[in-house]
Amino acid sequence: MVSIINSVDTGHEDMIHDAEVDYYGLKLATCSSDNSVKVYDIKNGASTLLDELKGHFGPVWQIAWSHPKFGNLLASCSYDRKVIIWKETNRKWGKYYEYSNHDSSVNSVQFAPSELGLILACGSSDGSISILTYTPETNTWDAKKIQNAHAIGCNSVSWAPATTPLFNGNENEQQPLVRRLVSGGCDNLVKIWREDGDRWVEENKLEVHSDWVRDVAWSPSVGLSRHTIASCSQDRRVVIWTSNDCITWNSTILHLFDDVVWNVSWSLNGNILAVSGGDNKITLWSQNTEGVWQCISDVSKGQGHINN
Amino acid sequence: MSGGMNNDYYVALECKDLQANAMSIDSTGTFVLLAGRRCIALRNLDEEYENIIKFPRQSKYDVGAAEWNPTSHNKEICVISSNERLEVLSWRNESLSGTSSLRAHTRVITDINWHRSNPSLLASCSADTFIHLWDIRDARKPTLSLSAVAEASQVRWNRISEYTIATAHEGDIKVWDQRKGTAPIQYIAAHVGKIYGLDWNPNREVQIASSSQDSTVKFFDTSNPRKAEFVLNTNAPVWRARYTPFGNGLVTVVVPQIRRGENNLLLWNIGNKATPMHTFVGHRDVVLEFEWRPGRQNGPNFELITWSKDQTLLVWTIEPFLQKLCGHEPDELIDYEDTSSGAEEKQNLPKIPVLQQEFSLLNVHIINLEVKNMNVNTRTVNVTSKVNNFTVNLQVTFPSSYPHGVPPVFQIMSGSNVNDSVSSQLMHTLKHLAQQRVSKNRTCLEPCLRQMVTTLEQLSSDMDSDRAYERYAEPSNVDHNDAYIPFPRTSGAKFCSVNALVCFGRPSITRRLGNKNESTSTPRALSALEGMLAKRSTDYMTVSAYYFQKQKLKYRTKQSLAKSSKAIVHIYDATNLFLINKQLAEDYILEGDIATICKYNAGAAAVVGRKDLVQAWTLAELVLGERRADEDRLWSSHPCGNKLIVSLIRHYALQSDLQMAAMLCCIYGKEQESSLRRESLKCLMSPMLLGPSKRWLKPTGSPYHTIPPADIVADGWLPFPKNTRSTSLDNLKVLIVPPKPLKTPYVAVYEYYKMAYAETLQRWKLPYKRAEVMKYMSSPLEVHKGVEFKSDCKMCQNPTTFSVCNTCKKFPIHCVICNISVRGLANTCLACGHGGHTAHLNEWFKTRKICPKCGCSCLTETAIIVDYLRWLNSI
Repeated sequence: MVSIINSVDTGHEDMIHDAEVDYYGLKLATCSSDNSVKVYDIKNGASTLLDELKGHFGPVWQIAWSHPKFGNLLASCSYDRKVIIWKETNRKWGKYYEYSNHDSSVNSVQFAPSELGLILACGSSDGSISILTYTPETNTWDAKKIQNAHAIGCNSVSWAPATTPLFNGNENEQQPLVRRLVSGGCDNLVKIWREDGDRWVEENKLEVHSDWVRDVAWSPSVGLSRHTIASCSQDRRVVIWTSNDCITWNSTILHLFDDVVWNVSWSLNGNILAVSGGDNKITLWSQNTEGVWQCISDVSKGQGHINN
Repeated sequence: MSGGMNNDYYVALECKDLQANAMSIDSTGTFVLLAGRRCIALRNLDEEYENIIKFPRQSKYDVGAAEWNPTSHNKEICVISSNERLEVLSWRNESLSGTSSLRAHTRVITDINWHRSNPSLLASCSADTFIHLWDIRDARKPTLSLSAVAEASQVRWNRISEYTIATAHEGDIKVWDQRKGTAPIQYIAAHVGKIYGLDWNPNREVQIASSSQDSTVKFFDTSNPRKAEFVLNTNAPVWRARYTPFGNGLVTVVVPQIRRGENNLLLWNIGNKATPMHTFVGHRDVVLEFEWRPGRQNGPNFELITWSKDQTLLVWTIEPFLQKLCGHEPDELIDYEDTSSGAEEKQNLPKIPVLQQEFSLLNVHIINLEVKNMNVNTRTVNVTSKVNNFTVNLQVTFPSSYPHGVPPVFQIMSGSNVNDSVSSQLMHTLKHLAQQRVSKNRTCLEPCLRQMVTTLEQLSSDMDSDRAYERYAEPSNVDHNDAYIPFPRTSGAKFCSVNALVCFGRPSITRRLGNKNESTSTPRALSALEGMLAKRSTDYMTVSAYYFQKQKLKYRTKQSLAKSSKAIVHIYDATNLFLINKQLAEDYILEGDIATICKYNAGAAAVVGRKDLVQAWTLAELVLGERRADEDRLWSSHPCGNKLIVSLIRHYALQSDLQMAAMLCCIYGKEQESSLRRESLKCLMSPMLLGPSKRWLKPTGSPYHTIPPADIVADGWLPFPKNTRSTSLDNLKVLIVPPKPLKTPYVAVYEYYKMAYAETLQRWKLPYKRAEVMKYMSSPLEVHKGVEFKSDCKMCQNPTTFSVCNTCKKFPIHCVICNISVRGLANTCLACGHGGHTAHLNEWFKTRKICPKCGCSCLTETAIIVDYLRWLNSI
């Protein structure tokens, strides 16, 4: 069902913690415990190292590509409490902006949907979420911080799509752009935040998990006809949250896995969810016509074959 | 410049035709070897007259590096590198002969270095990223190869530890242990610029100096390399920086390519980073290589041998005062004299004179430092140092057995205003330096005082920037935080772009560990690592060590894990999981009338084998294609009319076949637009249907005039009933030419489908297809400027004739196809004002007639306007 198109030996000297392909699917970025971020050209099945980005002094946990209309930007966050935005100019990568206003490890970074402008959200173990906004007129980055977003620490952030129609029947109105994001943390909670004027307010607090929430992902929702969020946790469960109006949310437990679950990722159209965790296995899930979630394949790592 | 000029050199060799780039001096300091492309020359430095022996060389490659074996056992062996080959030469009986040739590198060799003590061990590094260690007795292959990923520019054995070797890669230094050749034991991100030279401290095992393009020399403690111990700032990129064989000195030379007349060598005292101690002036061109040799008359003097591009070999004598400037205390001199006057006398020498002598020799003019009191009887010195906001009162007490292995005692006195961390760092540095010197029976007061000032300077300047860093580097502080930092992910999967699924994980061997027999699942916090592995080692524990441990317990296949790479990323093509299809995206059309579009697209769907889509397109054709004007109202409310289309769209959206949903939305929108147009036309035609408030017609219009139907048909409109009363043809034209923006009912979800599909097309790099879809967006059309050769800058509203706005320096024209500002050639329609990159528009209008943004027939309209303008000009 899925076929391997490329295997990149990144040459990292330690474990990889994140890997992401850019908007067009032409470049791969990876980050690792060896403190570096590497960028590869993967066009046409090639794997050429374009650059190795050094600037972090600790393991790099996560990376994120920006929309290409802002240029080739890559954000990375690390144990060294820093967030670095890298920029490619004339095939050379350099530091574009460095943000070091967190008091502990920064665990998650994600760029907002491009319609909202160039905005980056960062979640840190100091419990706060930073929202960095770029103003092109003044060429400056402005940082807003949600203090104490999660007690003990924030592990993951994910943006809502910029243009979500309301699925409550009021279809014929054009919705204004709303800035919303979801976060998960060590307080076992999933929280939804909305920008209201110049502040960020907690819109919802979702409580089902019984241990640290490790990852959250807001679905592009195109095919699901309602707002959908996936969250995964140390309690070995993945939960799918759905809502028609972003106010009341219903939860469905997708599955209880064998080991802790680290990662959830939606496909571009939001109909397939990839799940991975401590057992080193990857599973893909989708909803059947009755709306029941089913495992559609098992991508075993290292071999790249599929069961089921 | 505190450094004086020294012309105390003599020319040992001046040879115009040598063209040598590499120089080396043998271990006895007698022979100097100069190697170039054409020949190798040897000169005996002990002989007064200029006597050189030349050996021609047949090679098309230059000599990259040359080095004599530094051990007495193999002192006649010399190795030179030539492109990707190493040549081992032997100097016997006044002749130089090649003994072997070492080949293993695949690209040019950048540097070589002999092991300091093992007479047959040689290291070479190359642009092929490998570092080979050779035993020259076995020339067939290297005994060990280190793989470094990046190309190496320098390789240097540690001068004390026999296992440690350092290599330079662009701006980074890797430190290897030859017993553990799989990976470097240290990795130092040292410089921003390329590193040209490396040198290990001859006295301190863990200190390495690196010189770089970024005009600095940095000194790293390889046991704690997070930050350079200190940095020497020079004004030009540094080619080589090498420790002096005496004292705390360092000699630097600028990069050969930079020919700014800086042909001098600088001598530094590492303790004083501000200015060089001495400048060696004499060369007329850049210095290519320099080395030390013991002086001639067996005295304590050293000689510096330098080879320059000006093809002269100069020998500089280093006077004792220069050595003293580098912190080399003349105590050895005294010892030397002492021994000459009798060992007995030396033993009886009272201890105080040593201290007295040190006090008398102390240079009290140290910047930022004031010596308050020196008392030989109480054996104490009091000094005050003021650096920026720091004030330190320090008392140094010298025990009676000082300096023979016993360091003085340092104490910070009252009146100082430094915090605990600064004072503890200062004390640590002072004690370290003092201990180092007294262990060699050397005095230490002046170096310690100088060191104190530099340390304070460094601490005060780094204070702010380092605050966060210090905390991070302090492991005790990190520990309790780590309890709240999640355990690192070592596997993951992400959907990226349109159809890529990016996966990474641990090597398959660790994967086999089933968790069924594991009592616990993966820990949740990073602190688990330290807790679990604390017993094993005191090193910093990484995630890989955790999995390694886990694995070793069970399988004991340590090597297989070490061999398999830890870091492979697999990219899967998940196209088959999705209904959206790239080939369809390329094939589908949206141009023309609805029936044609549906037929064509049904064909395209058949080609890729999507029978369901063929049916859907056929259905869409039936519903939307042929529609009678008079049936409009009835048909759209019929269950098999518009409702069918709406439910088709909903069906495909639910199936996540966004492509089909969006295409149907476009077709549906197109149909609605044309029916609206008909509707409004009908209203125009039948004024009696209009309410009084909507009186569009000119009152002068004749209500009885009938338009011949043929005119309308020619315009592409369907015929309307003949009995329709209408205004005159003239009036009709006036009314229709400025078309009222027609609006289809706005359905947010449809807009969303179209936008999401357009986004996918953009990711696929199909901008023309994207523009076609975006055309059907109901978002308010931009108000265009009409016929203008100047475009108004969107930012500042000033008209401009150039592609860059004069006022705000931005690009005013945005291409309607790719939505990027136009920097080069641009074309715009004179009627509707839409346009963009000439190339994009050419491509678009090759097959299409209608504007990518609106309903304007740009080509025809523009042609008419141009004709009109031409006509205006002609009259």
